[in-house]
Amino acid sequence: MRLTTIWYFLAEGWRSARRNVSLISLGTIAASLFVLGAVGLVLLNLNHVSQLLRSRIEIRAFLEDGLSADRIAAIKAQIQATDGVKQVTFVSKDEALRTLRAQLGERASILDVVGENPLPDAFDVKVEEPDHTVEVAARVSRISGVASVNYGQGFTEKLLATMRLVGVAGALVALLFVAAVVFIVGNTVRLTIISRAREIEVMKLVGATDWFIRWPFLVEGMVVGLVGASVSGLLLFVGYKFAVRYLAGLAPFIPVVTAPEPVAALCVALLVMGVIMGAVAGGVFVKRYLRV
Amino acid sequence: MPRSIEVYQVNPIFRSMREVMTLVRLYSVSKVYPNGAVGLLNVDTHIRQGEFVFLVGPSGAGKTTFMRILTRQVLPTQGQVIVDGRNVVRMKPSEVPYLRRTVRMVFQDYKLLPNKTVYENVAFALRVTEANPRQVRPRVMESLELVGLAGKARAYPGELSGGEQQRVSIARAIVGAPTILLADEPTGNLDLDTSWGIMELLLRINKTGTTVIMATHNSSIVNGMMRRVIELDGGKIVRDDERGAYRREADHYMVLPG
Repeated sequence: MRLTTIWYFLAEGWRSARRNVSLISLGTIAASLFVLGAVGLVLLNLNHVSQLLRSRIEIRAFLEDGLSADRIAAIKAQIQATDGVKQVTFVSKDEALRTLRAQLGERASILDVVGENPLPDAFDVKVEEPDHTVEVAARVSRISGVASVNYGQGFTEKLLATMRLVGVAGALVALLFVAAVVFIVGNTVRLTIISRAREIEVMKLVGATDWFIRWPFLVEGMVVGLVGASVSGLLLFVGYKFAVRYLAGLAPFIPVVTAPEPVAALCVALLVMGVIMGAVAGGVFVKRYLRV
Repeated sequence: MPRSIEVYQVNPIFRSMREVMTLVRLYSVSKVYPNGAVGLLNVDTHIRQGEFVFLVGPSGAGKTTFMRILTRQVLPTQGQVIVDGRNVVRMKPSEVPYLRRTVRMVFQDYKLLPNKTVYENVAFALRVTEANPRQVRPRVMESLELVGLAGKARAYPGELSGGEQQRVSIARAIVGAPTILLADEPTGNLDLDTSWGIMELLLRINKTGTTVIMATHNSSIVNGMMRRVIELDGGKIVRDDERGAYRREADHYMVLPG
């Protein structure tokens, strides 16, 4: 393909986009891409929270009473060697008591009634993959010398299941909005195609190949997608910054993504998606009008 | 010894010189539209290179269908069509654009793009074929000069008279140096003086070797040119005269000679 031909496609597509695309359709595209991006941001934050919660999931393995230091070291090595275990930390019964005292605060005096330290020695076990917590806990509990394991039974399972559900639901919603955007861009390009039906007819009659006719519309779709995505991407990026600042003042305990990189990456992804969806819409819709 | 016999002796496949130079050939071609209307019925004919042919006949006789088949705008329901060595019926859709670069059309309603200048309208037809960009300008200007409109290159079609617009559409048709020029009622919307101007132009193009096939209702033009006339009626060829006139009994277009 000649360079001048490519230039012709770009110039034609750009000119046609400027001439035919109304502010209303551009606004509609920008709005739907904005919603798509907003869904993306919500997913990004949910993922962030989920990651945070999952990283806090730990298994505590309580040891039987009266084990020798050698025995404890051997158990530690055994746990360390277990599949899926990332890190093992020893928590002595004295340490556990101190932590408990600190947690009880003023009511720590009830511990004095008990007298002797009732807490067992234990290991804090961090797992490599939070999703496998339950299996790893079972494996650790089978090690001799381990009296019992605690990983927040019930709660952990529920948390993991909820996170998976939220991920799937989010992906479905995102998919729905992708379809909506393709449809809207396609409809916009379709309108310009209808308004240029005569031009397409003449092109066909003077011997233009189908692809020669299609390319400018593809470019037009890409321009429309890019402009719409740029507007929505910019609004999202700036809007998110303000939203985070507002939320930080209102509810500082909610963990939100504050780093600009993932948000910027999302906006860039939105741009790329806008261009691709525009090209697809432009390419698909013009095909119906090529039968002359 | 006539040349045709020489050819016959050299290569028995060519039965005559006439056949060697045949550019368009229709073998029992019929076209029945989905609604049952008959476009063409069992038409057999051939047109030689460099000929000037009039297609005449009442409305609905099949003139336009004839032309549309040559450019593969419609497919015949039966028969075979050969144009410039290509089988139009068996052609793949991807080959159609290349057929249309050798067979260009001129229409009664010009089919110019109103938002492009005269120059752009003509250049468009050349660019579509991905011609060498350096050649676009000289070739477009050459065509416009041939039709006498080089001075109006920057005008828009809406600013031109009907005759001028038809000249632009002719310039667009010949800029790619087609083998065949199809003209469907090119003078249908024009007065007689202007029509003769268009005919002179088509004749000049024909003299450079381009085969011209023109459908028309205009009896005085047909009678004044004395060229081959193929008359269609109800989709059938009812007459094919080498130097014909537009004459048909009981036809309201009939014009008495003189």
